[in-house]
Amino acid sequence: MLEARGLTRVFGDTTVLDDVSLTVTPGRITGFVGANGAGKTTTMRILMGVLAPTSGQVLWDGAPITAAVRRTFGYMPEERGLYPRMKLRDQLVFFARLHGFDATAARERADHLLDHFGLLERADDLLDDLSLGNQQRVQIAAALVHRPSALVLDEPFSGLDPVAVDSMTDLLRTEADGLPLLFSSHQLDLVERLCDDLVVLAGGRLVASGSVDELRSRGQERYRVTFQDGDAGRLREVRGLAVGDVDGASAVVTLDDLPPAELVAAAVGIGPVVEVSRVQQPLSEIFREVSA
Amino acid sequence: MNGLWRVVAGREISTQLRSKSFIISGAVMVVGLVATIVIAHLMSGREQTKDVGYVDDTAASAIEAGSEVASSIDENLSLEPKRYDDASAAEDAVRDGDVDVALLPRSDGSGYELVGEDAVDTTIGESLRAAVSSQATQANAAEQGVDLEALSAGTVVTERLLDPDADNADLRQVASFVFVLLFYLLALGFGMQIAASVTQEKESRVVEILAAAVPIRALLWGKVAGTSVLAIGQTVVLAAAGAIALAVTGSGRGLTILGPAIAWYVVFFVLGFVALACLWCVAGSLASRQQDLSATTAPLQMILFAPYILAVTAGEGVKTVVSMLPIISTMMMPSRLAEGDVPWWQLAVAIGTTLAAAVLLIGLATRVYESTLLQTGRRIGFGEALRSRSVD
Repeated sequence: MLEARGLTRVFGDTTVLDDVSLTVTPGRITGFVGANGAGKTTTMRILMGVLAPTSGQVLWDGAPITAAVRRTFGYMPEERGLYPRMKLRDQLVFFARLHGFDATAARERADHLLDHFGLLERADDLLDDLSLGNQQRVQIAAALVHRPSALVLDEPFSGLDPVAVDSMTDLLRTEADGLPLLFSSHQLDLVERLCDDLVVLAGGRLVASGSVDELRSRGQERYRVTFQDGDAGRLREVRGLAVGDVDGASAVVTLDDLPPAELVAAAVGIGPVVEVSRVQQPLSEIFREVSA
Repeated sequence: MNGLWRVVAGREISTQLRSKSFIISGAVMVVGLVATIVIAHLMSGREQTKDVGYVDDTAASAIEAGSEVASSIDENLSLEPKRYDDASAAEDAVRDGDVDVALLPRSDGSGYELVGEDAVDTTIGESLRAAVSSQATQANAAEQGVDLEALSAGTVVTERLLDPDADNADLRQVASFVFVLLFYLLALGFGMQIAASVTQEKESRVVEILAAAVPIRALLWGKVAGTSVLAIGQTVVLAAAGAIALAVTGSGRGLTILGPAIAWYVVFFVLGFVALACLWCVAGSLASRQQDLSATTAPLQMILFAPYILAVTAGEGVKTVVSMLPIISTMMMPSRLAEGDVPWWQLAVAIGTTLAAAVLLIGLATRVYESTLLQTGRRIGFGEALRSRSVD
């Protein structure tokens, strides 16, 4: 388990990170969201030890983390970087060997990852000659090549087309199985699809954290009620709920103190009901609420 | 560290060995060195005939006698008389470069004058002076009825050399200059290469992944080790090429004279290069883009350029002292060794100070490197880098 406790980072007169604590649980994918400048990258750099916190600490399985443990992590920095004039395979073999792999094991592992991304036949091409999307694939391969014990990925999906995103999420699900995985992203729909847990930063402070389900259920419960015909606005007569958007025979209602079962009974009392369904609050809405 | 620096060094070496510019520049240096030796050999062995203008018969026989004197001083030198109608025609010939010098009677009849354009070659001047003087003395002696042999009894001075091989001043001087120039070029070339390689890692941001994967000092040592191996490899190749060229052209004599100097050159190169290599890494880590390199490497270029100038211009005493200072010794000692013998204690002092400097500089460089490598936004000054301490 990877934890941060009370991380604070001051650059000159600006506090870019203010008392941020978070937990990345093994086997659960943790999404890290926040507007630009919220402090995500600073947090990740501190987790990886390439930046020192002004105060606070990073823990691994409950004890202060050591450099040796950190070196087993897989890291994808915000600013992409590999050797532009080096062949893909050589590059991955180099990173595997830096993590203590012998030459044969490093090569096997590099080829396995290149194969997954369909880049095996380009193994002897220079990184520079690849499209940006493919360079990104090699970058993620470099973070995974040494079978890391945890993954810290800064915007791993930015600039990828939907097919590449799918291929990368597949790989992450297999490779990061059972590992703590923290990734930041601006693509909230992706985060929603992938993540089990969520950490939200705004202006350098932690504004929300917990499992996605937990965060969703923090809001009031909302339901969509659709009648066979007539005006759904008639739901306003029911006590204990608030009616939101009305669209002809359909309306979204928020329950104040009315139990869901009674909503169904009340609706049936108004007219023939076609559908009553729970409306999931989109993550983007939660995100806007907490970071407002 | 677990030998991680070796992985870093390995990448450094294999990358360079595959780079065309590295192979080409190395080949150019080898060809240049061999060409220098071959040309020097051809120049030193070439026969030279100098033309001397004259107007009267006495001068003609003096020139013939002078040619023999000249050959006894320099075996490749001989003089060729060329007749002109009068003094002004001979002077024109000197001016036009048709003859190297003219031997003309003085207008007051007191003897001869040597007429050159802006200078008269010392050997030619001495030879002709001796020939004219001996010819006139003989004529005067006969006229006065003096027994010249009796007069000149006891004036013979001959030469006997105890160590004739050592008398190869030209070769030694050329070699001494070549040593200085080679170190300057190699140290500068490989130094810039280290700095550029560090900056490239900063520029491409790969350094952040590297720093997360291995201790920063392993990166530094790996880079220094890798580049040093390349630089030393090239030095050995050059030394071998030079030795072979000497053996082939100089019939082995040049090699006997310069062999020890060449061996010492390799020793001093290794010491001097390693001592400076860490500083080149620091210069690279201070820059954030390749364009910053000319500014951040300027102090190092000065460190190399100053001894280069000293080596070329300084007098004997100054050279002796500075050849024992760290790093400068790398350039000066082999150059002094090529020129002549150097007391062993001076060699020991030079090696000792360079080793001490290497240890100090590596310690200092490691500290600065650790604090500047991850600052990718801007160029950092040397002073600022020295004040900052930790990774932040």
